[in-house]
Amino acid sequence: MTDLPAGEIPAGSSSRTWRRMRRNPAMAIGVTVLTAVVFFALIGPMISPYDPYDTALRMRLKPPSAAHWLGTDSQGRDLATRLMYGARTTLMLGLAGVAFAALTGGAIGLLAAFYKRLDNPLMRLIDVLLSFPSILFGLSLAAMMGPGLHSLILAIGLSIMPGIARISRGAALSVMAQDFMDGGRVIGLPDVTLMRRYLLANAYAPILTYVTLAFGDAVLLAAALGFLGLGLQPPTAELGSIAAEGRSFLFIAPHVSFAASALIFLIVLPVNMLGDTLRDAADRRAS
Amino acid sequence: MPGRLAHRLLVSIFVLLGVLLVGFLMLQVMPADPAAAIAGAQGTDAEIETIRRHLGLDKPVMVQFALYLSRVVQGDLGQSIINNASVFTEITRAAGPTLELMCAAMIWSLPLGLSLGITAALRRGGILDRVVMAISVAGVSIPVFWVGLLLVQLAASTRAFPIQGRGGAIWTIDGLPHVILPATALGLILLGPVARMTRTTLSDALNADHVRTARAKGAGPARVVLGHALRTALLPIITLVGLQVGALMGGAVVTETIFAWPGVGRLAVNAITTGDYPMAQGAILFLALAFIVVNIAVDILSELADPRLRSRT
Repeated sequence: MTDLPAGEIPAGSSSRTWRRMRRNPAMAIGVTVLTAVVFFALIGPMISPYDPYDTALRMRLKPPSAAHWLGTDSQGRDLATRLMYGARTTLMLGLAGVAFAALTGGAIGLLAAFYKRLDNPLMRLIDVLLSFPSILFGLSLAAMMGPGLHSLILAIGLSIMPGIARISRGAALSVMAQDFMDGGRVIGLPDVTLMRRYLLANAYAPILTYVTLAFGDAVLLAAALGFLGLGLQPPTAELGSIAAEGRSFLFIAPHVSFAASALIFLIVLPVNMLGDTLRDAADRRAS
Repeated sequence: MPGRLAHRLLVSIFVLLGVLLVGFLMLQVMPADPAAAIAGAQGTDAEIETIRRHLGLDKPVMVQFALYLSRVVQGDLGQSIINNASVFTEITRAAGPTLELMCAAMIWSLPLGLSLGITAALRRGGILDRVVMAISVAGVSIPVFWVGLLLVQLAASTRAFPIQGRGGAIWTIDGLPHVILPATALGLILLGPVARMTRTTLSDALNADHVRTARAKGAGPARVVLGHALRTALLPIITLVGLQVGALMGGAVVTETIFAWPGVGRLAVNAITTGDYPMAQGAILFLALAFIVVNIAVDILSELADPRLRSRT
């Protein structure tokens, strides 16, 4: 950390980050694509004339047409509408998993930095969790709780949480070394206030960068588990399971799997590009 | 650094205990009575009672956990509810193919990732660097199953490679064509992270003092890059590969499912979707154990790769 007054660090650095990002054309493309996908997922369901769950067996696996822009799936449902709802579900799953991870991981990291006594036991627990590949969380929770929403969110959350805990502990420790923390303690502020208004307010930037990168992983894990049949169950529109449904008709109607998979890619790629840019900017600031 | 290795071993013990607890819990939440499930539809009450006592299901939970541990240590992972097959036997049969697939994926992706990373580091900021970085970010953003499905479509239209199953050991004439597609899909997971890490660490190493000294002494460019710079850059790359084994495992589960590869990942997924709790428990236990062993091996490897770690006690 520099010897700047703490309040100036986030303000100054974020506008500098913003300027760097704007000079990066890849970033502009990424943000545009992501906005388009989010728009597609949020506005699409409102304007689509079709219901994602209305089956019409006589309309099975139709190629794209004026009425069905992307054709229909194996149950005769409008694929474009399924994808809109699917993208919404996938985005929500990613957000929910990441939010769960950020809340628990962030709390653990801050507590470990704030209370020296808790540091060792909490971080050893994190080491253990960090040693599990995310797919094992997915598999074991699906096996224990049955595949579905709860096991899925928990699996996503648990696989991302340890990383967030580490990052927030690191960020919080460097804030703890600042004079204003001692100052706050001396004037008798309660621990909760110190943690929220002093610690968190100054440590959140690196946590946010990490969370952005983790969101891409969260979406990929949700999609992979959905594809394996261990995530949300049909007929729920979710991109991974739409891709899996299309797999049975890969040679007659390849567009079903293709469109769902491509949409996942279009969500994850810009998020990862954004995360990389944030990380590079942060690295450059640090050096 | 022996301290690091000791720390790793200590963590591993807890990880192992955690995994065993998960495996144990998986059998606890089994909706059916495990004893009745093992006895089968024709099982008499007396038989069920005998099995119950054999499994220790009449004892307190802690005792049951201890019994479970002792059974696992002896390689007794129970029987499948579906076909009564020994879980241990099924897993040993599936472990080979999974290992084959992972090795086949690494054989092409590690050297290629390293070369891409070296190219990018030497031409930092240039057009090649940008291309490599674009490949790298696209590689980590693409769902594995998409790559798998695209390969299936491509192979089906060209009839170049078989798209289902395993044709025998991968070094045989029958086996090799079968592994090409799944290994291609799986290796892609590793390519991006390895290229990226090589680029970062190698660019740092190229600016290090000892590399400048090597240049000053008149070492040729190939010797400077491969002998001096890459040598020091290797350590983070090895560590990264160890961490990526987890991602590789996740990819293997998906790839095995797409290509009907008879590995542990497919075994686990099938067991979970069919409600075969003992089989799921065994497969997950095995995958976790394999992950722990690989990571310990990586720690030992990194000490061998970097003498600076060995001398610093």
